[in-house]
Amino acid sequence: MLLEGRKISKRFGGVQALSEVDFHVEAGSITALIGPNGAGKTTLFNIVAGAIKPSSGQTVFEGREITGLPADEICRRGIARTFQIVRPFATMTCLENVLVAAVNRHPRRPRAALEPGARDLLAQVGLADLAGQEARHLNVVQKKLLELARALATEPRLLLLDEVLGGLNTQEILQAVEQIRRLRDRAGITILWIEHVMGAIMQAADRVIVLDQGRVLTAAPPREVVSDPRVIRAYLGE
Amino acid sequence: MISSSKWIGPAVLAGMCLLPLPLGIYPQHVLIVSLFYVMMAASWNLLAGYTGQVSFGHAAMAGIGAYTSGILAAKAGVNPWVGVAAGTLLAALLGLGLGALCLKMGGIYLSLTTLAFSQILHIIIVNEYEVTRGTMGLQVPGLTAEYSKLTYYYILLAATVLVLFILYRMIHSNLGLSFRAVQNDETAARAVGVRVLHLRVLAFTVASAMAGFAGGLYGHYLLLITPEIPSLDLQFYVLAMTVIGGMGSFVGPIVGAFAINILAEKIRDYGEYHVLVFGLIALVVARFAPEGLTGVWRSLGRRRTP
Amino acid sequence: MLAISVMNGLVMGVIYALAALGVSLVVGIMNVINFAHGELYILAGYFSFLFASVLGLPVAPAMALAVALVFLFGLLIERLLIRPTYGNDMYSLILTFILSIVLQNAFLLIFGPYPNKPPLWVRGASDIFGLFSYGNQRLAALLSGAVLIAAVFLLIQKTWFGRIVRATSQDRGMAEWNGVNTTRLNMLSFGLGCALAAAAGVILSPVFPVTPTAGVPIALTAFVVVVLGGMGSLWGCVVGGLLLGLVENLGAAFVSSGYKNVFGFIILILVLLIRPAGLFGRAKL
Repeated sequence: MLLEGRKISKRFGGVQALSEVDFHVEAGSITALIGPNGAGKTTLFNIVAGAIKPSSGQTVFEGREITGLPADEICRRGIARTFQIVRPFATMTCLENVLVAAVNRHPRRPRAALEPGARDLLAQVGLADLAGQEARHLNVVQKKLLELARALATEPRLLLLDEVLGGLNTQEILQAVEQIRRLRDRAGITILWIEHVMGAIMQAADRVIVLDQGRVLTAAPPREVVSDPRVIRAYLGE
Repeated sequence: MISSSKWIGPAVLAGMCLLPLPLGIYPQHVLIVSLFYVMMAASWNLLAGYTGQVSFGHAAMAGIGAYTSGILAAKAGVNPWVGVAAGTLLAALLGLGLGALCLKMGGIYLSLTTLAFSQILHIIIVNEYEVTRGTMGLQVPGLTAEYSKLTYYYILLAATVLVLFILYRMIHSNLGLSFRAVQNDETAARAVGVRVLHLRVLAFTVASAMAGFAGGLYGHYLLLITPEIPSLDLQFYVLAMTVIGGMGSFVGPIVGAFAINILAEKIRDYGEYHVLVFGLIALVVARFAPEGLTGVWRSLGRRRTP
Repeated sequence: MLAISVMNGLVMGVIYALAALGVSLVVGIMNVINFAHGELYILAGYFSFLFASVLGLPVAPAMALAVALVFLFGLLIERLLIRPTYGNDMYSLILTFILSIVLQNAFLLIFGPYPNKPPLWVRGASDIFGLFSYGNQRLAALLSGAVLIAAVFLLIQKTWFGRIVRATSQDRGMAEWNGVNTTRLNMLSFGLGCALAAAAGVILSPVFPVTPTAGVPIALTAFVVVVLGGMGSLWGCVVGGLLLGLVENLGAAFVSSGYKNVFGFIILILVLLIRPAGLFGRAKL
């Protein structure tokens, strides 16, 4: 087990966003996290990534507790993330965006030594030609790819993807899914993936965790999940 | 493009070396004061422009440098150069302490605490009359045996080049890359492993040391140290120069410091309106052109050659 | 000596609490610190002086008018300077700092460096429990300050406006989802924050006359009170304000009067060292 969450709860003022969520992610798996809007998926992501602290509960990564650690420390422990609404470093070039991640992974290496690796990552996501372009001039899809390259430059063992397929057309979705699979198969990166595009999840995910109203509804292989009446009810509403 | 930017530094430096030669004593004085402000504004820019921290205690740090060195020299006969080094060190330590204390709570705390710090320093200086001579001012020896404006000009110029060189190297290192990431998006920067807190404390320490260094030299130039150095007015000047010149740009504070200090001398002929005038200008610039004059210049350049 | 220091401490404490409430309200809702808070305090003192002493208005309407004008001025500041930079805390700090310097210098130009004083509301002194006699004006200041603080608490705890304020300072995003018009709320609470500074100003200026830079120590103390009490906590302001007023005045009486304002700074450092979230603060903003 690579990542485990134990009884994670989070309150925002008067709203219970998560209540006693137990979940785990197997090493080497692609695990999807789905659920209706407001189910608490992004909140759970933010807690794992250290962007917010849970009200109670624990997160354990590679057997060590990481609950409440600052986001940069969690990143150094080997968890990288993308954002639902893209957050590239707008006034920096694509190459610099990736380099920020690389130099913080290897603080003692000079920038010149890290540049080839960064260019490689840009090439992997298909942005090689835009290396010198400022990130704010990219379109949304390119920004998402850039964020992916940036996350990979931190050399994660667990990658948190937050709705990376939003705004992509069918062709692009196929490519993206292929790419995410390759990350797991070739680089051995475990993936925890929030997604609304169900087709993609059916294809790629080994296991699906369904959140509804801040609770885990079920966690099972995709085939079982889509036929689960509770899941259907949660999505369609009463 | 690369070859022209390679020559621009040495060319400006050569120009700066020759500049005071044909000038009289008074313009030389204005230039020396301008160099002090360049060091102040450029180092304050490391905070506000590159790491998103607003310190209101930068003038106070200059005051720490000036009074440490001044008191050591005037009361204990310590060599002024040693005194300047001591003042720089003390400012750095205070910067480290205040930074570590406030920054984990967020930027607003740094602004509040540095503002309080500068007021307290002011009160202490005025109250400890025996040591500091209060508002009367403390007479201190010069840096050299013979007092010559030209010598001071070159000393301050060398100091300014040193400060700018260190800042330039910092901004263009791996550290600078992380600075810019934090400036762009703190949350995203943390998410890719940038140690935001370390970075900010480091920048605050370095900037405070630079202010202490500049203040120490400035005090030995003025020969009379008064609470005007660690004052909110001087703090405001440094802030206005950086904002008007262009925060987050390397040249911005340099241009701003020269432009405003020279302009202030002109306005002063008409009465004590200069602070009000610069305040209003800074207000308009910060509101409508947050990248300052150099930002406006750059965007004009872009428009001409798209 | 002790009793008089305690009374002076209470008077100042109430004023600090009032000024700090204004700061805290704005921090809680907008995460903005208004560094021109002290200058608005002074502005109200000058208005009050202008209307009552120069134009000859009765004291009460002159004060009300002063507070109302500063409230409007606050709305204007929010609209012109704060709103466009909303979300960028750094610029609001820089802009309000510049504004404070501009106002100080404008005051200097218009009113000169000398102290100005609106007329007293009441004259004479009262005997307090037969122990010592205390100026009636100070007593009136203490009383009206306490009444105003109570009014603010009623406003926040009992009214519709207060409910929205509390909801928004707890969780801004949640409040927006629930249809709170945060743009108007920001403007109103910023104006109210300024009006509280103004109220402190009109109450205290008959006792401590206004000068162009006299707002700086008041605002600084208010900021310290806000940190001490816990950013955004209203109770923290009252307790912190009274505490600071007492410490300063007892310290001035028994330790050193020149260092009156330094005690606040020492408290600030201690709070940051020991309990950075403040007395009543939540763990983190």
